[in-house]
Amino acid sequence: MPIDFNITIAGSAGQGLQTIANILLKVLARSGYHLFSSQDYMSRIRGGHNFTNIRLSDKPIYSTTVSPQLLVALDQQSVDVHYKHLADPAIIIHDSDTIKVKKSKKIQDVAIPLAKLSRESGSSAYVNSAAVGALFALLRLDLNDLITFLETRFIKKSPEQIKGNINAATKGFTYTSENYTNIKINIDKARKKNRMLINGAESISIGMIAGGIRFISAYPMTPSTGIFTYITGKARKFGIISEQAEDEIAACNMVLGASAAGARTAVTTSGGGLSLMCEGISLAGAAEIPIVIANMQRPGPATGFPTRTAQEDLDLVLNIGHGEFPRFIFAPGTAEEAFYTSIHAMNLAEKYQVPVFILGDQHLIDSCITLDKLNPNKVKYKNYMVKNSDLKKPYFRYKNTKSGVSPLAYYGQDKVTFIVDSHIHTEDGHISEDMVVARKLTEKRFRKINGMKKEFYGPQYYGLKNAKTIFVSWGSTYGAVRETIDSLLEKKKSVAMIHYNKIWPFPVEESIQLLKSGKDICVVENNYQAQFNRLLKRETNIDTGEPVLRYDGRPFNVQYIIEKFEKRQK
Amino acid sequence: MTEENIFHFSGERAWCPGCGDYSILSSVEKALVNLRKKPHEVLIVSGIGQAAKLPHYINTNGFDGLHGRALPAAFGAKVANHKLMVLVTSGDGDIYGEGGNHFIHAIRRNIDITLIVHNNQVYGLTKGQASPTSDLGMVTKTQPDGVVTIPFNPLTMAITLDAVFVARSFSKEIEFTSKLIEEGINTPGFSLIDVLQPCVSFNHVNTYKWYSDRVYQLDNSYDPADKSKAYKKSSEWGDKIPIGVIYKNSRRTYLDNFIKPKDLPLIKRKTNIRGIESLINELY
Repeated sequence: MPIDFNITIAGSAGQGLQTIANILLKVLARSGYHLFSSQDYMSRIRGGHNFTNIRLSDKPIYSTTVSPQLLVALDQQSVDVHYKHLADPAIIIHDSDTIKVKKSKKIQDVAIPLAKLSRESGSSAYVNSAAVGALFALLRLDLNDLITFLETRFIKKSPEQIKGNINAATKGFTYTSENYTNIKINIDKARKKNRMLINGAESISIGMIAGGIRFISAYPMTPSTGIFTYITGKARKFGIISEQAEDEIAACNMVLGASAAGARTAVTTSGGGLSLMCEGISLAGAAEIPIVIANMQRPGPATGFPTRTAQEDLDLVLNIGHGEFPRFIFAPGTAEEAFYTSIHAMNLAEKYQVPVFILGDQHLIDSCITLDKLNPNKVKYKNYMVKNSDLKKPYFRYKNTKSGVSPLAYYGQDKVTFIVDSHIHTEDGHISEDMVVARKLTEKRFRKINGMKKEFYGPQYYGLKNAKTIFVSWGSTYGAVRETIDSLLEKKKSVAMIHYNKIWPFPVEESIQLLKSGKDICVVENNYQAQFNRLLKRETNIDTGEPVLRYDGRPFNVQYIIEKFEKRQK
Repeated sequence: MTEENIFHFSGERAWCPGCGDYSILSSVEKALVNLRKKPHEVLIVSGIGQAAKLPHYINTNGFDGLHGRALPAAFGAKVANHKLMVLVTSGDGDIYGEGGNHFIHAIRRNIDITLIVHNNQVYGLTKGQASPTSDLGMVTKTQPDGVVTIPFNPLTMAITLDAVFVARSFSKEIEFTSKLIEEGINTPGFSLIDVLQPCVSFNHVNTYKWYSDRVYQLDNSYDPADKSKAYKKSSEWGDKIPIGVIYKNSRRTYLDNFIKPKDLPLIKRKTNIRGIESLINELY
């Protein structure tokens, strides 16, 4: 039997859920399991109800599931919320004194005096460490790995706190080992292979750094903040400057100023902030300034669901910025794809002097996956600025070339001067009111599309060749759709999927080629209006079937897709 | 001007005859000549408005961006290449109205740039509406009962935020203005020079004569280092309007925190692949 085990760690904000999850994930990754972990949290710092799902397997996994086999409940609410979703059988770890669990045949109740063990270790703040000790005991993980982890990762805590946490973890471990010897969890010892653990925020950040980012500016906004924080944390080491702007308008315009001066740049934001950047993005289009915009979606409109996931901004990024100008839109499906896409994005922004969007979402940003490796040599930083030897004088910033791409210099390079301008302008950047200048300038900008169409990440096909049913994913729906395909293939269904990372310029020819065998095409996306489905139909003239949609702020999972898909068949 | 004016632009200028913008342009050119700068060493950033056309009319690098957003763009350019001398020339509507928020935070950051505001107390490009600095009672097509909103005082605001160099001038005084611009450029940090300027087409209150009758140059007896006196001086408006350096101060510039003068500019830096490998290794 393949291993597929799901753990939910639940409680209120401030109870140290993330610490438990991080320790467990790290140790499991080092033990060679494949992991997928997703977060469900509320927009508050204390209280409420939050949980992390950790799914582990002996083969690569790409999504989260709904029925945990093990629940760590740090408060009563956690039991009440998750009880009905638990698998059969399931285990609940909880505090024996304060949390009650209704008896049931399917539940194995692991009641441990977590609070008491914590107090005995010196403080009531170590409940989460006692719980993680209990978890380690049940999963037959090595207590020494846990202790080493606490010693090395808690360096910011006082020696007394570290000791307290270790004591509580040891007590939780021992208590559980002694009292719950009968509980067997069916996860074989995985081979000792050290896997890396990465989330979308880290992969986009490291990709941007590898892509040569020199300046980043942002205004904090969930769920994009993780990228800004990561790059800022590495800024000094990598010769980057990071500035928290007064608003997204400033962030966008700072980045455009830096980019015009020759620095590689990016902004990070979410829908509301992106709306404020609208005019700046139009300036990038007009003045042909390279910029990478990492827009991490959450449900809107307006403030919406701050900490949840959605794919509602596709229409926005397709159209954002008044007037007409070319752009790239990428929507990577996994943290791995996000890494390489981000390097490409930094290169392509400079190569074509256009805005490049990386369209992610909370699910991509916060979900952790295990990978064997990331290869920083696979996609390389490439400099597309004009070399001094090729810099013709007088230099025309907007030289009308065959490719539409003008040689890109920086201010003062080899003593040239030039003006970057937001109006209709002549080749040397000066304001013009001439209709021929206007027409030629527009045509020049749009000639870039010919080159842009040939760039990376055409649609990827996965599943049965010439399948009758073709699912379509874009962005973070990739994982759940891929596992849906695997599940349906096991049932001998004629299915396949097409995943879109590059969304614009839309890969029309490739799409028609890949979709032609499909009798039924089903787009899966996290929005109400089926925005990608509409785009696909518009660009290919192919009729699609009823899409599978979700717009409650939660990510897809296999069960959800199959259930909706089967209903739709009838 | 004894030296050759290498900053002169020979093309057409789309300003009204008699506009104060011409004099401010001359002052900027003079200051740059006196400082012995070369055109490629200078970047002039603007937003939108009549004043914001200035980067098109001078032989330097230019960035003519969005309405109100000159200061963030100038900040970005200076951070990217700290060897560039960065000036911002834009109007009162652009800097104090549309870009008011950026004005506040640019002063707080104290990036080493010089802001020259062409303050004509009216909107020129959109034909005569009130600006944030229009005097109370000024009648326009969009303020038919006269301006009822009290004028924004950029100098007082800048002093409150401890800008390192706060000055006011009058466009007609070309030599005097150019000296203030030079001093602003030579002062490390964010310098503000608010230049009063008539709008011959739309401001029929604050005319050449109106300003000429009122402005007076501050003399040596005035100490711009005294903050409380500077406050008082900055709000002097009406029969007498002071021009000169109103406030001076010194503090670390933004980039002093991140870059040493001899460091490579950001645009010249490279990321090595080893560094990326170390980031990846942290994930195991």
